[in-house]
Amino acid sequence: MEDFLYFFTFQDPSITWVVLGIMLLGIGSAYVGTFSFLDKKALLGDAISHAVLPGICLGFVLAGEKDPRYIVTGAFLSGALATFLSSWLKQHTKLSEDSITASILSVFFGIGIVALTAIQKSGNPEVAGLNSFIFGNAIGIAEADLFLYGGLSMAILLVLSLFLKEFRLMVFDPGFGKAIGFPMKGIRFVFNVLLILAVVIGIQAIGVVLMAALLITPGAAARFWTDRLQPLLLLAAFFSILSGILGTYVSFVLPQMPTGPWVVVFLSLIALLSFIFSPKSGIIRRFLARRNYLRKTHKDHLMKALFKAKEAHKERLTLEEIHALYPFHKKEITHSLQELTTQGLVLQDSQGIRLSTQGNSDAMRIVRLHRLWELYLNESMNIAPDHVHESAEQMEHLLTPELEAQLEQRLNYPTLDPHQETIPRDTP
Amino acid sequence: MITQVPNPILEVHDLTVSYDQQPVLWNVDLSLPAGQLIGILGPNGAGKSTLIKSIMGLIPPTSGYIKIFNKALQEVRTRISYVPQRESVDWNFPASVLDVVVMGTYGKLGLFRRPGKKEVQIAQEALEQVGMTAFVTRQISELSGGQQQRVFIARALAQQADLYLMDEPFAGVDMATETAIFQLLQDMARTGKTVLVVHHDIHSAMNFFEWVIMLNLHLVASGPKDQVMTEELLRKTYGGKLNLLTQVTDLIRKQDFNPLKS
Repeated sequence: MEDFLYFFTFQDPSITWVVLGIMLLGIGSAYVGTFSFLDKKALLGDAISHAVLPGICLGFVLAGEKDPRYIVTGAFLSGALATFLSSWLKQHTKLSEDSITASILSVFFGIGIVALTAIQKSGNPEVAGLNSFIFGNAIGIAEADLFLYGGLSMAILLVLSLFLKEFRLMVFDPGFGKAIGFPMKGIRFVFNVLLILAVVIGIQAIGVVLMAALLITPGAAARFWTDRLQPLLLLAAFFSILSGILGTYVSFVLPQMPTGPWVVVFLSLIALLSFIFSPKSGIIRRFLARRNYLRKTHKDHLMKALFKAKEAHKERLTLEEIHALYPFHKKEITHSLQELTTQGLVLQDSQGIRLSTQGNSDAMRIVRLHRLWELYLNESMNIAPDHVHESAEQMEHLLTPELEAQLEQRLNYPTLDPHQETIPRDTP
Repeated sequence: MITQVPNPILEVHDLTVSYDQQPVLWNVDLSLPAGQLIGILGPNGAGKSTLIKSIMGLIPPTSGYIKIFNKALQEVRTRISYVPQRESVDWNFPASVLDVVVMGTYGKLGLFRRPGKKEVQIAQEALEQVGMTAFVTRQISELSGGQQQRVFIARALAQQADLYLMDEPFAGVDMATETAIFQLLQDMARTGKTVLVVHHDIHSAMNFFEWVIMLNLHLVASGPKDQVMTEELLRKTYGGKLNLLTQVTDLIRKQDFNPLKS
C-alpha cells in the first residue's frame, strides 16, 4: 500500500518522468499499431521489433556504452533494413508474405542474440543494462533517455495526425487513393517509418520480444467496443496507457520484474475483458441473446399449444397436457407459464390454463406466421407440403411484422395453408 | 466493327497490358465520344477491369498510351472519377457511410487538408442522389451488397468529375436498384458527363447503354449500340476462348523477359 501511494502520488520525480514516458510511448505505439492491425499487417510489427536487436548491439559496440542515441539509431536502421528486405522479397520472389515475415523475424533475432552473447562475453562492464532490451525495464530509463523517447513519440503523434486522412485511405482503399493521384507508395513509406520508430521507442521500456503486443493488442481490444476510427484510436491509446502504467508499477514494486511482460499481461487482460463484455460481439452478449431467444421459443410453444386446443374447441389445457406435448422441456414450459401469467397473456384457474384476449391475439400471430411460411415454401419455392413444417417451426419465432405483411401480400391473404388448416387472423 | 470519333473524350492508343508478363489485353485502340453512357462487355477474364485500371493509371501499360480530354492522365486526374470493384476493399473497416463517401472529395482536397463542412455537404448530396440518405451514419459492414455498391457510386459522385469509370457497379445488386442506378447514370450522361461501365448482363446492356465496347483479350467492337450489338459480334465476344491467342499468351509468359515491352 505504501508503495502504491508512493508510486501514484508521484512524489518521486523520476517516477513522474517514467510514467510520462510510458504514456507518450503507449499513445504512439497504439495509434500506429491500430492502423497496422486494421491493415492486417500485425505480423510485420512483430518482425520489426525482433529485427531491431542486431542494431541495438551494433549501436552498443560503436558507442562502447549504453548511449541511447547510438542504440536508437542502430535499432532504427536495423528495423528499416528488415522492412525493406521484406517488401523487396515480396516483390522479387514467389514466397508468401507470412513465410517472408517469419524468416526475417527469426534471422534478424538470431543474429541479434548471437551478437548480444558475444558482447556479454567481452567483459565490458557497461553490458549489464543491455539485457533489459530483451524484456524491457521502464524503471531503468534515465531522465536523459526520456527526452529522446518522448520526443520521438511526439513526432510520431504529430505525423500521424497530419496523415490521418491519408492513412485511412491507405488501409481502406489504396487503389482508390492511387486513382485520385495520391502518392500511395510514399504514404506507405511514411507509415513504415512511423512503425519502425514506434518499435524503437518501445525497446527500452517493453523490450524487443514483446513490443508487438503493445502495437497490436490495444487496437484489437478497442475494436470490440467501437465501429469508428477516431474513437477506436482514442480507446486503443487509453488501454495502452493504462496497461503501461500498471506494468511499470509492478516492475517498480517487485525489483526483479521486467516491465514488458507485465504490460502485456495487463493488455491481455483488457483484451480478454473486451472479448467477454463487448456490447456488440462479446460472449456474454451472445449468451444472453441466445438465452432470450430460447425463452421466447418456449413461450411461443406454450401459447401455440393453447391456441391449437382452442381451434379444437377445447378452451383450457392442464399443465400435464401441455407437458405431454413438449416432454423434453417440462421445466422451461413451467417457467414460461409463470412469465406469461405475470404478463397477463395466460390465465390460470381451477379448471386449467387458457389464453387471455391479448394472449389469444399473440398466439394467433405465431400460428399465422407458421402457416404463412409453410404456404410460402410450398407455393413460391416448390417444396413439398410434408417438408415445410421444420422450417416453419423456426421461422415462426423470427419473422418480423414487415416480413409478415410482405408474405400476406405476396400470397394474396390466403385462407388455407398447405395442410388445409385455416390461417387465423384477428377479425377487425 | 470499331468506330473512331473526332475530338474524343478518351483515346486509347494501341494499348497492350500484361500482368507478370502475361498479356491480358492486346493492342486495344479506340476513341470514345463525350456525354454518353458507355458499356464495356465481355466474358470473364476478357480484360474489362484491366482496361479501366489502365485508364486510371493503376496498371502500367506494356505498350501504347492513353489520352483523356486530349491530355495525359496526371493533368486531368481531378476530372475523372473511379468506382473500384466492391470486393476490392475490406468492409469491416471501422467507418461510417459518410466517412467513405467523403473520401470522394480527397482528390480535390489534396494531401494533408482535412475535409470540412463543404466536403460533408458534397458527400450528403451524393448520398441523396443514390437514395442512401437514411444510412449516413451507418457502419459500412452492416450494409447489404447493393447498399455498399451505392455507397461506392456516391463516393464517385462526390468526386464531381466529368468522366466516370465504374468497375462492375451492378455486381450483387438487385434488379430494382440496378434500374434506379442506370437511370441516375443516364441523367448524368444527359448533363454532359461521360460514364464508362464494366458490365456483364447483355440484356440490361441492350436497354441502357448508348455506346458499347466489346472485349475478349482484344478489342472486338466499339461503337453505337445499334451497330455493334449484333449476333455475329456477340458470338465473337462470348464464343469461347481464342485458342491461338491463349497459346501465344502462354508462350510469352514462359519467356525470361517480356518481349512486348517497348
